[in-house]
Amino acid sequence: MWAERPRGNALCKECFFHAFEEEIHHTIVHAELFKRNETIAIGASGGKDSTVLAYVLKLLNDRHDYGVNLVLLSVDEGITGYRDDSLETVKRNQEQYGLPLKIISYEELYGWTMDAIVKQIGLKNNCTFCGVFRRQALDRGALMLKVDKIATGHNADDIAETVIMNVLRGDIGRLRRCTAITTGTDGALPRCKPFKYTYEKEIVMYAYFKKLDYFSTECIYSPNAYRGFARAYIKDVEKIRPSAIIDIIHSGESLSVKKDIRLPVQGVCERCGYISSNAVCKACVMLEGLNKGLPRLGIGKTHKERRKMQEMLQQETGAADSTPCTDQSLKSSCKCENKTDQSECSSQTYDSDNASGCSTYSKSQKCKDGCSSTNPRTVAKEKLSIFGKLKQPPSIDF
Amino acid sequence: MRRRMMRRLLRVCAVCLKEFLGCFQVYVTHKFRAAIGKTKLVRDGEKVLVGISGGPSSCALLHLIQEGLSQRAHKKLRFKPGLIFIDEGQVVGQSLEEHKVTLTRIHSLLRQSGFPYHLCQLADSLDLERVKTLNACQSNHSAVNKINQSAMDINTCSNPVEGDKGDVEISGQDENCCDLIEMNREAEKLFAAQLGSIRSISGKEDFVRALRHRLLLEFARQHGYSKVMLGNTGSQLAVRLLTDISTGRGMQAALETAFADRRNTDMMFLRPLRDFSSKEIAMYNNLHRLECVFIPSLTTMGDVGASIEHLTEAFVTGLQAEYPSTVSNIMRTGEKLDSSSAVDLESHCALCQGPLDTDVGMSSALAALRFSLEISTMGKTNGERCIKGDNSVNNTNDELCSNGVNYDAKVECCGKSDGSCRSSTQLSVPDEGLVLQTLCYGCRIVAMEMDDVNSLPEFVMKDVAWRNRRSVMKAEIQDFLLDDR
Repeated sequence: MWAERPRGNALCKECFFHAFEEEIHHTIVHAELFKRNETIAIGASGGKDSTVLAYVLKLLNDRHDYGVNLVLLSVDEGITGYRDDSLETVKRNQEQYGLPLKIISYEELYGWTMDAIVKQIGLKNNCTFCGVFRRQALDRGALMLKVDKIATGHNADDIAETVIMNVLRGDIGRLRRCTAITTGTDGALPRCKPFKYTYEKEIVMYAYFKKLDYFSTECIYSPNAYRGFARAYIKDVEKIRPSAIIDIIHSGESLSVKKDIRLPVQGVCERCGYISSNAVCKACVMLEGLNKGLPRLGIGKTHKERRKMQEMLQQETGAADSTPCTDQSLKSSCKCENKTDQSECSSQTYDSDNASGCSTYSKSQKCKDGCSSTNPRTVAKEKLSIFGKLKQPPSIDF
Repeated sequence: MRRRMMRRLLRVCAVCLKEFLGCFQVYVTHKFRAAIGKTKLVRDGEKVLVGISGGPSSCALLHLIQEGLSQRAHKKLRFKPGLIFIDEGQVVGQSLEEHKVTLTRIHSLLRQSGFPYHLCQLADSLDLERVKTLNACQSNHSAVNKINQSAMDINTCSNPVEGDKGDVEISGQDENCCDLIEMNREAEKLFAAQLGSIRSISGKEDFVRALRHRLLLEFARQHGYSKVMLGNTGSQLAVRLLTDISTGRGMQAALETAFADRRNTDMMFLRPLRDFSSKEIAMYNNLHRLECVFIPSLTTMGDVGASIEHLTEAFVTGLQAEYPSTVSNIMRTGEKLDSSSAVDLESHCALCQGPLDTDVGMSSALAALRFSLEISTMGKTNGERCIKGDNSVNNTNDELCSNGVNYDAKVECCGKSDGSCRSSTQLSVPDEGLVLQTLCYGCRIVAMEMDDVNSLPEFVMKDVAWRNRRSVMKAEIQDFLLDDR
């Protein structure tokens, strides 16, 4: 059996394996992705990319003696019929490759599963939630595991697709960032993409020839429509010129942004301490929206939603004034307040309309970040406090 | 805001179409003049070469310039335009009759404009020495000369149909057109061979574009123009930007779509229609009953996947229909990219004149590609293992292995039995690797699609030789060069 490579060379199976692995080795070495004695979390979804990534990294680590410790890290979005099945695959992989596995769930972190979110938001824009939450979830999981880096299975096609999408959206900040092989070096946790120059097609080919065990079902919730366009385009271009994917990445790498263009400065979310281009990170805004029954707060045109929010806030403050329950008492009644910096309880006002005395209970339910929960979670949250060093969580400024 | 205004106007025009058209005219003229005016790049009395392809947007551009220069214009434009048409009939292999019809129409279009004009062939770019003489033979033609002269004298064409029309007989034009073709037989043949040897249509398109650019540049230089004006609309440029990115020309993308393309220090390419959509241009042409000439391209009548550019065009147009902000989004991205990079002589691409984007580190797409080629041609232990498969699929990539870095080392044979990788070194032509070194990433793709890299146009080879000499010289004096620090 022969494998045809994008530039037209055909290799036999063995040579293909060798070439495939050595190319990734080449990328790892020259981009200086790993250092000796580091612990690397492999973002594992159970899909082909992450399965191959786990397999290849383990293999290369043994072959070339990188001296790194590998662990698998999975995020459970809580999508019944999709993620639960793919996590089974990850668990099998854990045994097959002998790598430790950590699963972190949305439910545990945010108090919402994707199933619940979809019920709220419908099938449009749900991917925005999932994407934003997953990014954070991975980092949080990685911090719990005390790893030095996260390696994700993003392949060349994914990156090319992102380049095209950012051009279409006019998002210059992301356009500049998206081709970097390692991101977040200045923040808490760098992430790297060892498959940056690896074609998706070859990953599938590798997994197929190696008979790797992976899960290949599309997410049951509709895929991100706009990304779908970019994806279709990439696939069509690839048909015309197979090397085009790397060409697009090259373009992305060599784009230079005008000096006088103001790029969003990456700061830190003042609520949770996670990296963010705004004062409050997207995940916090989205979570706030979900918790208050305004799920569209974090997406689409914000001004409308903000207005709604403000109106709501005003009504509530009006109500709060009349209630005997003061801010102070509310604050102290919230368990999570002191233990975590993660608190969603900055909302001294927001649900005080039903705060006619019994507010404590209803409130702690609404504190989705787990403040109503039992001890183990709170412990987990304390570990996460790396993220935030704020004592007094400010409320979101709408 | 403006769009809302337009819509409101359109509602008016249901009642009174004329009013709308008047407003539309004002709107278009204003936008055009604002584009030229606000950048303050075109100076009074400057000679500007206007590229006319005969298509809708260049017809509109020509008309807008005519209007702007006419005496009745409110604030007259003050540059001196000269028109150029580059005949690309050969690219698509038009028959002689069709070709003649096209040329005749173009000729009458240009002639009626009253501006000095030039007709040349794309193949002329292969023989740049000749570009200077092109004009002579063009203006020797008495009738043409006369028009040119008269146009020059009054420097306006307030009335395009004024008297001159009768002076030229139709047969005279035809003859002229045919003369032009006859003259460049040699270059034409060479061009056909080169174009034919490029395998993909995407590559051909890139090649043609590079030659066109080079010819415009050279022509403008030789004939004393200091600016070149092109009629690309925003819709076309959005497609261009995305195509550039998809063909590995990300670095040029900003230059290709900016209002002012400054990649050459001595010549500026302007795109005053970049804020217009093709729809607006079509409306304008319709309003003024401008007849454009249909020029078939390589992908005319081809399916969507004929070439990357064609595909991108279909993609952007489709997306634009669903998301009307697509084109403006893409253009906005382009605006934020750096287009100011002035390129010095040794760091631009010998073919497309864009900046060289191949000086990248080991952690880059280019290095990854190189390594990928190396490892998949070398095989696991020696070069022999996979050669059979290599031949059985297609041996299209003979030149690939000599790509880039290893040109000075012994060029690795890619395993072909025909010795194609070594043949070039035996002749006294520059090494393939050396040629490729002077090309940008995008042009390398084109060059590698050619049968023989050394069959690239003469101007490229000259540049290669020149740079080679320079680097040899530099090596000789290396010891005497003091470090800047």
